Amino acid sequence: MKHINKVSTTWLSLLFLSLLFNTSCKKKENLNSKILHQVISSKLSGLDPISASDVTASTQVAKVYDCLYQYHYLKRPYEIEPCLADSMPLVSDSGKTYQITIKKGVLFQDNKCFPTGKGRELKAADVRYSILRLADPKLHARGWWTLQGQIKGLDEWREINSSKESSNYDTTIEGIEVIDDYKIRISLNHAYPQFINILAMSYTSIVPKEAVEYYKDDFLNNPVGTGPYTTTRYEQGNKIVFIKNPNYRTEYYPNTGEESDKKTGTLASAGKKLPLIDTIVVKIQTKAQPAWLSFVKGKYDAYGIPKDNFNMVVNMDKSLKERYKEKEFDLKITPAFHTSYFAFNHDDTLFGKNVHLRRAMSLAFDRAEFAKKFTNNRYVPSRSICPPGLMDDDTSSYIYTKLDIELAKKELKLAGYENGKGLPVLFLDIVADKEVEKIGEFFRLCMQKIGITIEMRTNTWPKLIEKVNNKQTQMFAMAWKGDYPDAQTFLQLLYGPNESPGCNSSNYKNSYYDSLFEKASRMQVSPEREALYKEMNAISANEVPLILSVHGTSYTLNHAWLLNYKSHAFSYGMEKYLDIDLDKKKAVFDKL
Amino acid sequence: MKENLSYIIKRLLYLIPVILGVCFIVFFLFNLVSGDPATNYLGPHAKPETINELRELWGLNQPWYLQYFDIVKSAFTLDFGKSRSSNQVIMELISKRALPSLMISFPAFFISTVLSILLAMVTAHYRGKGIDYVVRIVCIAMMSISSLTYILFFQWYFGFELDWFYIDGFEADLGFFSNLPYIILPVIIWVILSIGPDVRFFRTIILDEIYQDYVRTARAKGLSETKVLLKHVLANSMIPILTYTIIQLPFLLLGSLLLEQFFSIPGLGDLMITAINESDFPVIKAMTILSAMAYLVFTIIQDIMYVLVDPRVKLK
Repeated sequence: MKHINKVSTTWLSLLFLSLLFNTSCKKKENLNSKILHQVISSKLSGLDPISASDVTASTQVAKVYDCLYQYHYLKRPYEIEPCLADSMPLVSDSGKTYQITIKKGVLFQDNKCFPTGKGRELKAADVRYSILRLADPKLHARGWWTLQGQIKGLDEWREINSSKESSNYDTTIEGIEVIDDYKIRISLNHAYPQFINILAMSYTSIVPKEAVEYYKDDFLNNPVGTGPYTTTRYEQGNKIVFIKNPNYRTEYYPNTGEESDKKTGTLASAGKKLPLIDTIVVKIQTKAQPAWLSFVKGKYDAYGIPKDNFNMVVNMDKSLKERYKEKEFDLKITPAFHTSYFAFNHDDTLFGKNVHLRRAMSLAFDRAEFAKKFTNNRYVPSRSICPPGLMDDDTSSYIYTKLDIELAKKELKLAGYENGKGLPVLFLDIVADKEVEKIGEFFRLCMQKIGITIEMRTNTWPKLIEKVNNKQTQMFAMAWKGDYPDAQTFLQLLYGPNESPGCNSSNYKNSYYDSLFEKASRMQVSPEREALYKEMNAISANEVPLILSVHGTSYTLNHAWLLNYKSHAFSYGMEKYLDIDLDKKKAVFDKL
Repeated sequence: MKENLSYIIKRLLYLIPVILGVCFIVFFLFNLVSGDPATNYLGPHAKPETINELRELWGLNQPWYLQYFDIVKSAFTLDFGKSRSSNQVIMELISKRALPSLMISFPAFFISTVLSILLAMVTAHYRGKGIDYVVRIVCIAMMSISSLTYILFFQWYFGFELDWFYIDGFEADLGFFSNLPYIILPVIIWVILSIGPDVRFFRTIILDEIYQDYVRTARAKGLSETKVLLKHVLANSMIPILTYTIIQLPFLLLGSLLLEQFFSIPGLGDLMITAINESDFPVIKAMTILSAMAYLVFTIIQDIMYVLVDPRVKLK
């Protein structure tokens, strides 16, 4: 009897444990609802458009908020189209005045900030309010640089209000005129062709005054916009749940795109009312491995392939490996409009006046090996400061971005340092990160081949930025992501007046280059402007103000059930075009 | 009793200079070693005047002694203001983040401590025998592997290949039982990480006791080995065991920086890493000062526990 009791107790315990294990370890996935599962790799500081300074923040903000303009989802090269605006702006001949008509009947999301709890109609005054908010000195918006010095009277308004207790939004601003409820006129200090791109950036999303005043400091955690989705749950640092905005204006899936869109099925939803998905769950996971494993298991619908997993997933010819094809994954490759480089501080006498030294170092840097070693050949070696796809420039004649040790040695001799003799140790400032340190070491070894000694100095990210801004570095490693699809966003990195702490952190100064940049900055898209861009590109290729490294490319994988997915370099608010094939998901999910 | 009380009051008063010192170190590190938080916050496009306006607002242009006084004031009032990045009240943020940390750290700590003590007693009892060697070798092997390796391997093998556990999905708003599926794997990893050093430490303590005369006497009296171990040996080993375990308690609140990051658990460890990445100085300041204070408070609790465990101990 005692023996039986012992045996039954053991079995009962095992049964209990297995039950507990089965019920608690894995929950059943919900395959019956159209829920888009996304994962983001960086923390969010809130959803206030004026401070959405990175891609992650902009993407989340754009789910709730709309801008006056947006990028066409399917067309390439990227094309701007109206969003809250009813049509493209009427731009004066001088390029200084933009008259914008906004759509009628657009409602803000229902929220308790409105007197009745129902979202009211968007008016031109909201556009004015949102622009002033971006300029408000009390809010220290990260996006202020987009409008700084551009709109008539706006900088003055900011200046006046900076010394006041609170900013006065009722003051008349010369450059922002509300004509009527649906029309606004914006006057610029000078022609600024990229202004239309600025109006498509999340910084300039339209917010209602009521929400800002109701939530005050907590507005960033309580977004209220006119966008396709509204937040139901926002756990900082963990998860955000967006649901379809019932007040969303009538907008349809585009009917036109690239020729390839017909083949890939991204035009299959043409003419359907947006958004197509009911709920979006965004999980914040800063580490690549768990996010990747969860994605492969089907917990997330799309994910950028992490560097460490790249060779397991993609073949040398950039096609998907068989194992992933069998599971019906789909690979999307898109230029990311990104350039990484090693910058010289041109205020340092050694580099500023010695073009031969700069050329020698650029010629000694092995970009192809760099791309192979650090990016699994995902990124392409840079030939010019502008990434491919921004302008039609033949860079094959640019000699200083090719690896040529013999020529590098000749240039070094011309620089006055034959075989590196007489050249002091050069200091490279980098951010303290294992991967970046390896990159620094690679750079050091490249330079060693021509007799140049490099010493690395590691810094925290804020310290590095501070040193760069204060011109306290000799050389530093940096990268730049284009804000809009216009070569100007990269060419500005070498414009003299943008020197540190501006974006020309290498402090390169060339009066001829500056004059070309200023001329091009006032011109609308035209062959003449393109010619100026090419000339600037050629100057930078010859002068070597930076040692260019690689241009980024995005490799994104998505599951077969995710419909209409098309990789986009400025993918703010693009979730409204996505759809989920639930039958496909049920069929594929168990195979994962 | 009176002696004990005056000792505790004295120890509490010692907190003051220690907090002043901690504040100074925090101030020194973040003002001299780290970069400008205003520049970092506003990004590469910001103009000097914009950066300066923000520095003014954040009090970074004040003389150093006023900035230091500000830190000291917040340490004594426990009012650390608002996070610069999320704009949330820091004390609210910390109390909200403490629970997820405790959800993994407390069960892991409890299981690993109990398991380690049991294993230590078994190995001490069978000292020099096969089981002792096996346990010790396993412990050393476990200690030789880095925590990151455990996390990466367990996530891949048990979470992905075998599909037994979730590797993310923790939701701060849900309670302990709803989050149970998401904390099993991090708890297992935590236990594995701590069991190696714990067993070796506890075994040494128990071995010190197991050869004492009173143990021989207890055995001579005919007490069973279980009673000897649990009632006599364990009871007399409690002071060093308490010293070791209580001092770990404040760190449980901080959770595990790596585990929280890899399992996407929004705890205090995760908060700290995010604050460092974003140069959110007020949050870093609050976390550092509170950790130091918690450490000091727990050392006092540890002293009190000595008296409770062993009445012969007097606090002087």
